[in-house]
Amino acid sequence: MRRIRRTAGSLLCICLLLLNTGCWDNRDINHRSLPLVMGIAYHENLYQIVLQIPEPLESGISLKILTQTGKTINQAVDKISARMESSVDLLHLKVILVEKEYAQLGLSDSITTFMRSREISPKALVVICDEKLDTFFEHVKVSMAPKGTTLYDSFEKNAGWNPQMALTRIWQVYRSIHSYTRDVAIPVYKSGKSGTIDYTGSAIIKNGRMVGQITPEETLLFNSVNGLGTQGKIEVMNNASVLILSNSTRHRSRLVHNIPYLDIELTLKVSIVETKGTPTTKLIKDELQEVLLQRFEHLFDKILASKADILGVGQYFRNKLPRSELSHWRTDYLPRMKVKLKVNPVIQNEGNLKLS
Amino acid sequence: MGFISRIKEQYAVSDDFFILNDYLLETPVILMGFNSLMDWTLTKQNLQTYINTAADTGLGLEEFRTVLGQVETASGMDKASAGLLQGKLIIYFEQENSFIVMDTVARTLDRSITPPVNENVFQGTLSSFTEDINSNIGILRKQIQSSHVNVSSYTIGSEETRQLTLVYYEGHADVNLIEKIKMQIEQNKHQQIDNLQQLSQRMMGFRNWTLVPNLNQTELPEEAANFLRNGRALLFMDRLPVAVVLPSLLWDIFVLGSDRHMPLPLMMFLRALRVIGVMLTLILPGTYVALVSVNPEVLRIELALSIAQTREGIPYPAIVEIVLMLLILELIIEASIRLPKNIGPTITMVGGIILGEAVVQAKLVSNLLIIILAATTIANSTIIGLQQSLSLRIAKYIIVILAAIYGVFGIMEGLVLVFAYLSSLHPFGIPYTSIMRCKKEVNHG
Repeated sequence: MRRIRRTAGSLLCICLLLLNTGCWDNRDINHRSLPLVMGIAYHENLYQIVLQIPEPLESGISLKILTQTGKTINQAVDKISARMESSVDLLHLKVILVEKEYAQLGLSDSITTFMRSREISPKALVVICDEKLDTFFEHVKVSMAPKGTTLYDSFEKNAGWNPQMALTRIWQVYRSIHSYTRDVAIPVYKSGKSGTIDYTGSAIIKNGRMVGQITPEETLLFNSVNGLGTQGKIEVMNNASVLILSNSTRHRSRLVHNIPYLDIELTLKVSIVETKGTPTTKLIKDELQEVLLQRFEHLFDKILASKADILGVGQYFRNKLPRSELSHWRTDYLPRMKVKLKVNPVIQNEGNLKLS
Repeated sequence: MGFISRIKEQYAVSDDFFILNDYLLETPVILMGFNSLMDWTLTKQNLQTYINTAADTGLGLEEFRTVLGQVETASGMDKASAGLLQGKLIIYFEQENSFIVMDTVARTLDRSITPPVNENVFQGTLSSFTEDINSNIGILRKQIQSSHVNVSSYTIGSEETRQLTLVYYEGHADVNLIEKIKMQIEQNKHQQIDNLQQLSQRMMGFRNWTLVPNLNQTELPEEAANFLRNGRALLFMDRLPVAVVLPSLLWDIFVLGSDRHMPLPLMMFLRALRVIGVMLTLILPGTYVALVSVNPEVLRIELALSIAQTREGIPYPAIVEIVLMLLILELIIEASIRLPKNIGPTITMVGGIILGEAVVQAKLVSNLLIIILAATTIANSTIIGLQQSLSLRIAKYIIVILAAIYGVFGIMEGLVLVFAYLSSLHPFGIPYTSIMRCKKEVNHG
């Protein structure tokens, strides 16, 4: 009797488990659309959403580009989902492409939405598109080879990324919106000729709003200071071009009479790739130093002009200023800041040939 | 009723039973036995040689009888019966109402010692246990020549008797364990034991509903000797060509004594492979279900798309698909055991066609699933012991179902469930998940 009761009890438990699972709501992978790239624009109080969805066919992959508008991002996505045969799953969203005009208006709301969403990974890249989304995606559809990772490959670090491109993820933008002392740079792209997309520099984002732009060369410097410059190439004046093999930075900060001073020591280990004429090692080193200092000056001028701390130098004063003062960092302290950059170029090797 | 009439009543219906009147040194005797169990011609010759020698040396009947065997009074039917069934010759003396149980020339009813059939040996001793319990113990004694190997035999069963022998290594085995086993055998001596299930349940008192085998078994004398050295006890049952290892532990799935014939790194590599095999068997099918239907975000996008591509047009959800294919796979494995060796390849061929090509071409399952299934089956085969691999095969279904419900999280749940279950087992008070070593210091026997 006890045995029967126990068996019945466990059977009942299993049945309840099956009833409670909700596993019939699970959709198999072939019934989901997995968009990789989402474009966002904002015109006349309406969001325009473009989704680039790779469609697996029996012979390869075709790209589907769908666009909808809505009062919110979710409404637009839902509209797209309703028109598709399979449901749209934003789980695999890797790139968020923002139209430049919208970036200039301010991305705070969208970024907050993405951070809140359980579907979208905070690791997705944020990229700015320097033209209308429609023309950009039209270009992608017509001239780029359709594969699963079209477009995404151009931005991804282990694929088509280059050290002169900024690499910023949603969580970093979100952090910059809420941080007193750190802003981000977002790469800017536009459609190029012959099936490529062109990188035109990086946008300076302050509190989620685009306030300026830096060139690719400056972005390389920016990346080097942030430790991302490896494999980047620098043209040295007229004499040579070098490849960065590794880079490291040391910072020393001090605050004297409310004026922040920062010494940055950038050590670059480089390899010589190309030379013109017969330059000496010393000449290359000196010119490299000169070029980088000049570029840094330009970069810093832009930072000061936009009052956006994309280098995150404010971080080095966090232990020197009280929190109440930190909130004025961008307005009061950053413009007065004195930065001294010291570049230590080390020529690690000269390639397969010796310099004469 | 007389002794003869009782014997006749019991055995005369059997045609292989013979009962003959004869003379032994001019004394009338009755000879009885089974000619299916003894070689009667040779036995008769032997007996004649004895008689001739006795006559030559002028031995008296009384002395001659003690030469032939122990003299028993005819009141003890049991001894006569047991002797008969063991293939002995009963010589009955009518005048004194007593009998002798005489050893005979037995028919060879046992196969010779052959290489193992169910287990493969990789660079180790090649002989295996046979049906004859005494040869088995003999093989074992050859393998492990020590005065500390103790053998205690029991006759079990009441209606049908059977020999059960406990072997242990004194000084290596835990005294408490041996005492417990001996106590269990003594207590349940009268039980009828025909198979290992009964041995485990009736004799050893294990629960019947366990997923993993309570009794580990091996047919390799080398492994058996290693088990003995590591403090396990062995049970031999007559007519069973394996040594039953007590207690059975999780570690036995991964470790083979003959691994130690290899250098240490190679041994560790092999054992690591088996651990990986176990994990893959458990996880792989569940992972497929979880990633395809519940958590596709875990996959890299390239992989996600190619999986979606292979699943294009497949009618069933992943769980139905995988359970269907796993079932076919189980059927193939079972069928290939069942079929005689000369038509066995048919199954391999037909199964290969189903699993390899047809089922994918018919768009019933995705071809990724075939890869998963093949990998699972291969991984499952790395496990030592057919019974253990069977229990793992069952455990993987639990994980598949949980994965279909809860996704990747369900796989973890399932693993926790399986390992919690394994940890809950403790045969003879020894945790199933423990590693048993030779008890050198404590509890000397």
